[in-house]
Amino acid sequence: MTKQIPPIADSKAWRGYDHQPTRGELQITSESDIVVARQAIRQVCATLNFGLTDVTRIVTAASELTRNIYQYAGCGVMRWRALVEGAKTGLEVTFEDNGPGIPDVEQALERGFSTSRGMGLGLPGAKRLMDEMTVQSTAGKGTIVQIRKWVK
Amino acid sequence: MAADNISVLKLHDVLLVTVPPDPDDPTVTALQEKILQAMMRHDARALVLDISTVQTLDSFFARIVSETVQMAALMGGRTVVAGMKPNVAVIATQLGLTLGQAETALDVDRAFDLLRMPAPAPLPAKRLES
Repeated sequence: MTKQIPPIADSKAWRGYDHQPTRGELQITSESDIVVARQAIRQVCATLNFGLTDVTRIVTAASELTRNIYQYAGCGVMRWRALVEGAKTGLEVTFEDNGPGIPDVEQALERGFSTSRGMGLGLPGAKRLMDEMTVQSTAGKGTIVQIRKWVK
Repeated sequence: MAADNISVLKLHDVLLVTVPPDPDDPTVTALQEKILQAMMRHDARALVLDISTVQTLDSFFARIVSETVQMAALMGGRTVVAGMKPNVAVIATQLGLTLGQAETALDVDRAFDLLRMPAPAPLPAKRLES
């Protein structure tokens, strides 16, 4: 069953989540958490003045990256925080797992490369949708993917 | 969310399937099975997939839709994907997603109009390059 995402203002309702309006995290442990992650990111974006298309970009990237966690590592965590840099504001989302790691990050970022039965669009797709993306991965230890989008 | 809240309506020899707004992966997979079963049971000639409420079209969803289109085609059915939101179309193009051999329409009305016309000659599935 899908966990319901409580409204952001209702901080007491965020029992299972470490959440404040500008930062939060969500454990990814099951397939249904992909939907929960999408809803969480959509809600956070709503507080940050992103346009609808950018919200869709960030939510889609989060969907791809949480699915990668579930598919390759089984479980992991998604963390987000609002960014302020001078007059610019934005959102940073980090996806961390202790899974098998990506042996060749360069290759994984190529479109059409997939080790599962996917389309090989997840990681390169997320990169295209975001302003910035970094991937750190150690074989056997895990992967950290960090994405950023600035409010236009 | 389970497969039972996916609406599959039969209108003459066309199946109208309304995809729920934010389906999880098992629901998307169940949708495919439900569509194919319904096609056989109702002897349907065509399929209209209404995705007008869908807000996130990621690579998994796109793959299942394009597979379903292909499977329906193997069973002799034509598929029209209707109602893609503008922002979803932007993201699908940026991601390089393809819906395989699906025909597309602005909305469900246009999809039914399209089905009154003869099917176009099959083209190889194109990848949208951005």
